[in-house]
Amino acid sequence: MEALLDHKDEINEQLARYGVKFGIYKNGTFHERLFPFDPIPRQIAADEFKELEKGLVQRVSALNHFLYDIYHEKKIIRDRVVPEEFVYRSPGYLALCEGMTPPKACYSHISGIDLVLGKDGEWYVLEDNLRIPSGASYPLIARALCRRCSPGTFQRNSVVDNRNYGALLKRTMDYVNTGGINVIFTPGRYNAAYFEHSYLAEQSGAVLAESSELFVENRKLYYRTSRGVAQVGALYRRVSDEYLDPLFFEPSSLIGIPNLMDVYFAGNVALVNAPGNGVADDKGIYYFVPKMVSYYLEEDPILKNAPTYLPYFESDLSYTMEHIGKLVIKDVAEAGGYGVVFGEKLSKAQCEDLKAAIRSAPRRFIAQEVIDFQDMPISEGSETVQRKADLRVFVLSGASPVVWPGGLTRFSRNPDSFIVNSSQGGGFKDTWIACQQERPIS
Amino acid sequence: MRTLSFFFDTRLDFSEPVTEHEFLLRCIPVDAPEQKIESYTLSVLPEGAVTDFGRDAFGNGYCSGRMEKEHSFFRCILRGEACRDDSLREKADASPCYRFPSPLTHPTKEMEDFFESLPKPGDALEFAKMVSSRVHEHFSYEPGKTDVFTTAGEAFRQGRGVCQDYAQVLISLCRMAKIPARYVSGLPVGEGASHAWAEIWADGTWHGLDPTRDCMADEGYLKLCVGRDYNDCPMERGMFFGGADQTQTVFMKVTSQ
Repeated sequence: MEALLDHKDEINEQLARYGVKFGIYKNGTFHERLFPFDPIPRQIAADEFKELEKGLVQRVSALNHFLYDIYHEKKIIRDRVVPEEFVYRSPGYLALCEGMTPPKACYSHISGIDLVLGKDGEWYVLEDNLRIPSGASYPLIARALCRRCSPGTFQRNSVVDNRNYGALLKRTMDYVNTGGINVIFTPGRYNAAYFEHSYLAEQSGAVLAESSELFVENRKLYYRTSRGVAQVGALYRRVSDEYLDPLFFEPSSLIGIPNLMDVYFAGNVALVNAPGNGVADDKGIYYFVPKMVSYYLEEDPILKNAPTYLPYFESDLSYTMEHIGKLVIKDVAEAGGYGVVFGEKLSKAQCEDLKAAIRSAPRRFIAQEVIDFQDMPISEGSETVQRKADLRVFVLSGASPVVWPGGLTRFSRNPDSFIVNSSQGGGFKDTWIACQQERPIS
Repeated sequence: MRTLSFFFDTRLDFSEPVTEHEFLLRCIPVDAPEQKIESYTLSVLPEGAVTDFGRDAFGNGYCSGRMEKEHSFFRCILRGEACRDDSLREKADASPCYRFPSPLTHPTKEMEDFFESLPKPGDALEFAKMVSSRVHEHFSYEPGKTDVFTTAGEAFRQGRGVCQDYAQVLISLCRMAKIPARYVSGLPVGEGASHAWAEIWADGTWHGLDPTRDCMADEGYLKLCVGRDYNDCPMERGMFFGGADQTQTVFMKVTSQ
């Protein structure tokens, strides 16, 4: 590992050359910044990861059942497990997708589940990302650069080889492909995640295309090249629902494909991930995910949520009011670490304002116990400092969900911050999953 | 029962030729027991466009298409005959999405206060009729003060607008009373511009209300498209290649025999 530490600057220089960066909004304006890499990996034991894997497969399966149900029979609402307000008031719910079954009934092809490891040694899910979870390319390229700098590191440490992300992505797209080529659809090279789009295209053998290279005719989607046109069977779109199609959605969108939704409704293209998934990764819906596991799979949930209260429910509202000082309050309409307020940091007046806001619109907020998650060592100059870190694990669903053995570990920039979202600054680490040790023969 | 003959013409003129024009037309008349479409034709000009037909989640038919070659105008002409008979309306459930605010119908504080000042709903249809009259009184009809992106809240604040604004405010107020309400675009008997009104769901079926004219949207109204608000029902949308300005001209004529 010392070898990797010695190469920290070189690796970061390489990452900068590749364009490994992301965009952040600060005071209303957009900034791009490099995503600093820390070479000390997060290490997860084989057994521990196996348990996480089981829990993640279970969770993603339940979420996929939920999405199918919401856009079809809505049994979970009828059976009063999820109140209808949480579905129909969710900005991610797409009425236009009612009754629509995506190819192979797969909604969340690529899921990014954010977890933290508590000081109690337990993993907690903080967020499900089922729309366009980004970030797999960062640990992927970092691992490749680390291997190049210090091949010996991976000979001495038995780490699960996870260079197969591209192959998994290809398999996921092939599974739902309705006939034609696989395309990664990017908003363009000015997008902060353009590196990821191009890298994943290269890794999965898909074509990287912008809207000007794609068009719709006869309810089919085509990719245009100088040599002719090719039909597209699976579109891994890195454009959000609202900008996806200017004729069916936001008319001002210049990055969308006109009439793409018509192709999708006709069953002539798979959209990865399915439009309308936002209804399942809403902060308000998060509370219900363990209940979905029991409801759809009739199993006990393996992974825990952070203890969460919904002020929408009377008893949770009074708990929130009484204990606001030790809770973290999240605005369900906000994303990317925005709209997150820690009760202990509020002045008395701010606290009363927040309470009033919660009382007047209880459905807009969730309250959570603050999880004291474990610190991770970060190299800073010649020293090692401690920072909070989370872990985004990627689950790719083809015929069945597969957990990519690795993930994006993000750490906070400030020593006292619990917010590790990359939109808020901070950096990332690689995540090493230890190889299963063979049992000694006794 | 009334037989309606309808004609609807949307024309776009481009200041310079455009190519690769993708379009989406939501002006296929809704075929239902109370609105039987005896015949209709939809022509897209100039010739050479590739067109297809689909059906959306709200039950509307639509025409999607592409005109690849260079053209300097675009025209879509609908004509046909329908038999309207409200006694044949069938009972059906209203989708839950019609009970919740949609992007253009989120109530504002002012609308909530207005709602509070209204007599409390007893019978849903009677309440909706009363609200429709109050919306009619609240607004003065003034084209040009609002556009297709104006929300119910913005239109309500200025008290000026067109049929779309009247309809969306009525829809928003009905949903506050937990009455399912939806937006309708279509063609009433007469001639001129196309029209929009609202439908509310009571006693298991949809009832048309026209707050702009302060009346029921009866058998003299031909439905083309329904949805949660205008965003679900624009009659014509398109995107093309070229830096042209476009001018839209719309004309409709509906006669009753």
